[in-house]
Amino acid sequence: MSIDLTFIAQIVIFILMVRVLWKLLYAPLNDAMEARNQKIEKGLAAAEAGVEAKAKAESLIAAQLAEAKTKALEIISAAEKRAVEVNEEAINKSRREAEQILDSAREEVLSELEHARQSLRQEIAGIAMLAAEKVIEAELDATRHAKMIESIVHEGLGAA
Amino acid sequence: MAEQEQSGGIAEHLQYWSYKFDDSNPFMQIHLDTMILTLMIALGLICFAAWLRGKLVEGAPTGVQNFMESVIDFINQTVKDNFPVHNPMIAPLAMTIFIFILLCNSLDILPSYLMHHIAGSVGLETFRQVPTNDLNLPVAMALSVFILVLYYEFKLKPVHFMKELLLQPFAALLLDSKNPLVKVLGVILIPLNLTLKLVEEFAKPLSLSFRLFGNMFAGEVIFLLIASLLLTNSINDLASAGGIVTEVAGILVGLGWSLFHMFIGLLQAFIFMILTVVYLSIAHQPVEH
Repeated sequence: MSIDLTFIAQIVIFILMVRVLWKLLYAPLNDAMEARNQKIEKGLAAAEAGVEAKAKAESLIAAQLAEAKTKALEIISAAEKRAVEVNEEAINKSRREAEQILDSAREEVLSELEHARQSLRQEIAGIAMLAAEKVIEAELDATRHAKMIESIVHEGLGAA
Repeated sequence: MAEQEQSGGIAEHLQYWSYKFDDSNPFMQIHLDTMILTLMIALGLICFAAWLRGKLVEGAPTGVQNFMESVIDFINQTVKDNFPVHNPMIAPLAMTIFIFILLCNSLDILPSYLMHHIAGSVGLETFRQVPTNDLNLPVAMALSVFILVLYYEFKLKPVHFMKELLLQPFAALLLDSKNPLVKVLGVILIPLNLTLKLVEEFAKPLSLSFRLFGNMFAGEVIFLLIASLLLTNSINDLASAGGIVTEVAGILVGLGWSLFHMFIGLLQAFIFMILTVVYLSIAHQPVEH
C-alpha cells in the first residue's frame, strides 16, 4: 500500500483517457444530443408558429366571412331592389304598349268604320240611284238629280 | 493459531502482483495487476466509444446510445448545476472520472478468492482485481484534478489566489488595520496563513483519493473476512448440517455484501465526480469585490 511508479503510469493513463474519451465518446454523443435538441426546439417553434398562424388565419377567415356576408346581404338587397325596379319598369312598359296597341286598334277601328261608312254610303247611293232610276227612269235626269239624291242619302245616313 | 492463519490469508490476498525495478527503492516498482486492469478498462472504453461513434443516429436513440445519452445528460446537468461559467473540458473530465471509477469499482463483483485462485492457476502468487483498491490510482486521479484546480486558480484569478494563499484567514490584520503594529503582525502571520492554506488545499486531493481508496479497500477486506470466516472455515465440514448452514449463510452474506458494495462503488464514483466538479467550480468562481 505505497505510492510507486504505478502512480505516474496511472496519471498518464487518466490524462490520455480524458483526451481520447472526450473526442471519441463525449463530443459525438453531445453533438448528437445538441443537434436533436435543436431539431426539437425548431419543431416546437414551428409548431407554435403554426398554431399562431392558424389562429391568425382563422380570425382572418372569420373577418372575411363576416365581410362577405355583409357584402352578400348588400348585394341581395340591391338585387331585390333592382328586381322590383325592373318589374315595375316591365309592368309600366307593358301598360304603355298595351295602351298604344289599344289606341292604334281604336284608330284602326274608326278608320275601318269610316271606310265602311263611305263604301256603304256609296253603295246605298248607287242602290238608291238604281231604285230611283227604276221608279222614275224616264223622268229623272241622272246627272241633274244625282247631287240632290246624294245629299238626301247623306242626311239620311247622318241621322242614322 | 487459526486466527493467525486467517489474517495471514487475508493479507496474502491484499498483496499486489508487482514488478520491482529496484529492490532497495520501494517507489521503483509497478503494480502489474492494477496496470493490466486499468489498461484493459481504458482500451475497452476506447473500443466501445469508437464502436458507438459509428452507430450514432440523429433520430430517436435506442439501446446503448440511449443509455449513454442518459449518462451524458446526467453529467451535463450536474456540471451545469454546479458551474458558474462554461468550460468545455469539465463535462468530459467528469464523464471520464465517473465511468472509469465505476467500471473499476464494478470489478469488485468478482469474488477476491476466485480471482486469486484463477491467478494462482496461471502461476501468479497474488492478483488484486479492483484497481481503485490500489492507492496509486485514486491518488493519481485526485492529484491530476488538484493540478487542474491550481492551474485554473492561477489562470483565472492569480492575484486573488495569491492573496488567499498568503493572507487568509488573517487578511484583515494587514489590509484593513491602520495600526502599523497590527500590520507588522499581519506580515509576521503570512507563513502561518500559507501553512493553513496549503493544508486546506492539500486536504482536497487527499480526502478525494483516500475516500475512494478507503471505501473500496474496506469493502474488499470485509468481503475477505466474510469469506474466510464463513466459507473457507466450513468448507471441510460440508458433510455436517452445521457446515452446510454456515456455508449457505456465508454465500448469502457474501452475496448481500457484494451487492451493497456495488452500490458503494457507484456512490463513490459519483462522489469523486461531483467533488471534482465542485473543486473546479470553486476555482472558476468570479472574485467578489
